[in-house]
Amino acid sequence: MAKEEEVRPNGTPDDDQVESDAKDPSGFLSEIIGAPVTVKLNSGIIYKGDLQSVDGYMNIALERCREISDGRLVRNWGDAFVRGNNVTYICADSA
Amino acid sequence: MAPLENLLPLELIDKCVGSQIWVIMDTGKEFIGKLLGFDDYVNMVLEDVTEVDPIEGNGQLPKILLNGNKICMMVPGGDGKTVMDGEEDESENEDAAMVG
Repeated sequence: MAKEEEVRPNGTPDDDQVESDAKDPSGFLSEIIGAPVTVKLNSGIIYKGDLQSVDGYMNIALERCREISDGRLVRNWGDAFVRGNNVTYICADSA
Repeated sequence: MAPLENLLPLELIDKCVGSQIWVIMDTGKEFIGKLLGFDDYVNMVLEDVTEVDPIEGNGQLPKILLNGNKICMMVPGGDGKTVMDGEEDESENEDAAMVG
């Protein structure tokens, strides 16, 4: 009997997998790379900028990074790196 | 809704994908929105989110990735308004006791 070339994990129809992937965290992140985002930290600080990249720790690289407090611009940081452990959420502004 | 079967916690969350949920953080902050997806760390993608903060007040967010790190509890179908009657009464009684 011929050995099966491809062993697929049980019960994962391909189409469903692709569709659900677009909506889970990694799919969402790849969708919003380059887009304007709002990042809120556990401390309550809000950063707005263009999402340059994210990794599995939720470390974030932001371009045009602005710090916002009470809806007012506090400071312009330019390119910034935010360590992932501080992040509460990443919000896609355009969605 | 069917009676609760034997369901693993993550399977419960999986059943909530596509529906409204209420997420309560360690910090007391709350998020109410439609669950689009989640991963093994229970990081969540939420849509049309209301952010509830006892100090800063509420906010609306179109679509977010919520860090699972500080998530405390998730209530399927929760609207952020449901409060157990007993809890409220209790706190009122406590207040009354303090005043008295």
